[in-house]
Amino acid sequence: MRRRRRRSAAVWARVALITVGLAVAGLLYAFPLYWLVVTSLKSKAELYTSITLFPRSLTLESYGNVLIDSGFWMLLRNSVIVCLSTVIVTIAVGLVITYPLTRLPVPPRLRVGVLNWALSLRFLPPIAVVIPYFAIVRTLQIYDQPIALIGIYSLFNLPFAIWMLKGFLAEIPLEVEEVALVDGANRWTAFLRVLLPLAAPGIMAAGIIVFTFAWSEFLFALILTATPNAQTFPVGVQGLVTQFAIIWNQMAAAGVIAMSVPLVLMVVARKYMVAGLTFGVIREK
Amino acid sequence: MSRLVAEIPAPTGTEPVRAGRRRRGRQERLAYMILLPALGTVFVIVTIPFVIAVFQSISSDDGTLIGLSNYGRALSNPLLYEALRATGFYALIVLPTEILLGLAFALLVHRTVRRPGLRATLYVLAVLPLVVPPVAVGVVARLIYAPGYGVLNYLLQSAGITHSEIQWLGVPILAMGSVATVDIWQWTPFVYLVLFAGLQTVPRESVEAAQVDGATWWTQFIYIELHYLWPLFLLILFFRTADVLRVFDHVFILTGGGPGTTTQLLSLYMYRIEFKFFDAGQAAALAVLVLVSISILYALVTRALPLERA
Repeated sequence: MRRRRRRSAAVWARVALITVGLAVAGLLYAFPLYWLVVTSLKSKAELYTSITLFPRSLTLESYGNVLIDSGFWMLLRNSVIVCLSTVIVTIAVGLVITYPLTRLPVPPRLRVGVLNWALSLRFLPPIAVVIPYFAIVRTLQIYDQPIALIGIYSLFNLPFAIWMLKGFLAEIPLEVEEVALVDGANRWTAFLRVLLPLAAPGIMAAGIIVFTFAWSEFLFALILTATPNAQTFPVGVQGLVTQFAIIWNQMAAAGVIAMSVPLVLMVVARKYMVAGLTFGVIREK
Repeated sequence: MSRLVAEIPAPTGTEPVRAGRRRRGRQERLAYMILLPALGTVFVIVTIPFVIAVFQSISSDDGTLIGLSNYGRALSNPLLYEALRATGFYALIVLPTEILLGLAFALLVHRTVRRPGLRATLYVLAVLPLVVPPVAVGVVARLIYAPGYGVLNYLLQSAGITHSEIQWLGVPILAMGSVATVDIWQWTPFVYLVLFAGLQTVPRESVEAAQVDGATWWTQFIYIELHYLWPLFLLILFFRTADVLRVFDHVFILTGGGPGTTTQLLSLYMYRIEFKFFDAGQAAALAVLVLVSISILYALVTRALPLERA
């Protein structure tokens, strides 16, 4: 009897410890996000009085300032154009490379070689690539144009796309396509009518993940663009941070806008996110 | 939500064997017809920047060849070694912290949370920071650490812990710590997700058998679960090291490499050489050196990875 009570005391101590630990972790996790959103909703007047943990009044004024008065809607438009084009190029090239690797009999060494090579691109530091790429961009006279970003984003996202698409295509039994081939369809129609619809959820997920990566990219955009003609949203955010007198609520509003797009997309593709980040080692079962 | 597991495949490549030999030959030809142009194009596009970097690194701005003097200048620049030291220091702070914290959470949730709904919620919460653009994370960090308007100093002063403002971004060691916390905030969830998925692969029977034998929380971890997590630690180390070598965005926004050069990590240093000092030759030499060392490093570590190769 006494022994049981002592044990339950130990259990309670452990539960208390875990609860406190989780509460602290939860606070550290959530507070930065809370603070960003709250700051973006404060009025300019409130910014210059003192720091208030709970805003006295909420206003969307800073969002209007950033998007309309500062013209950031143009950067938003550039981001969407660049990201969508990147997704289309990356997924198309990714399919062209992964289709033969998964659906046709190629020597295993070739398949392994291609996958390893794609993985090695993941290890490249962008800064080492952007230095020579900058020279190329100037020679081709595509500096400060979206196409310069689309090219390099597609290249850097291709490894993810190859590994994810490879996983999705390999899961579809070869037989479904063979049935269509026996029925007289050619490979192209079998691919278009049979394989593509079956792989569509995976392809969508890969596209969404590539979109979020391209959306977040900053270094290339900083170096390869100069004006609202091609600047993406993260470059605009950075401009608000380093200017002489920071307007905190506008900076926060830009931060909220920058993160809201990938967050919404992530909720759609959440099941595939970890698979994408680990090149398929962590998979859903 | 169905559960996520780590798939650690056998290293052998299995190939689908079907169809007659002639059909097979035709299919193989088709495979090459599709693959070669695509791979060839990508290969050329990847290789051109490297060739250009090599060319830039051995020539002066007007295009005359000057040998290896750019490499000499790159390697004799003391700032390079400061940058490497800062990068190493940064890695030494963030990697162990993220792995230990992530492991602790993975074990905790694995042992105490049974409800699938709650596990799914924790999954979403953990994925969330991973997709926040580093620039936005940098903005958040600015709001927290900045002198004058930073909320951290406000909280510390209201709680009576400090009375004067702490210069989080102005003192070398604190600046490095501030920059590191941003990384830890964003990437600990990644470690958690990978290790939690790894824990799902531990067979229930061996855990139950150990518990019957009186295994404690700790021995169960050391003798059973750790065994299944090793390949995943390697995986995490691989991806996170690749990430540390490319860290740029949040540091650029939070400290810009300062104070002085204390948080000037490798990427920021190279950016500065090329785009602030406009020393294209030295920057190209650095780019070549980095690309070559990364390739060697990659060749060394890639064999150890638990990735599906077939």
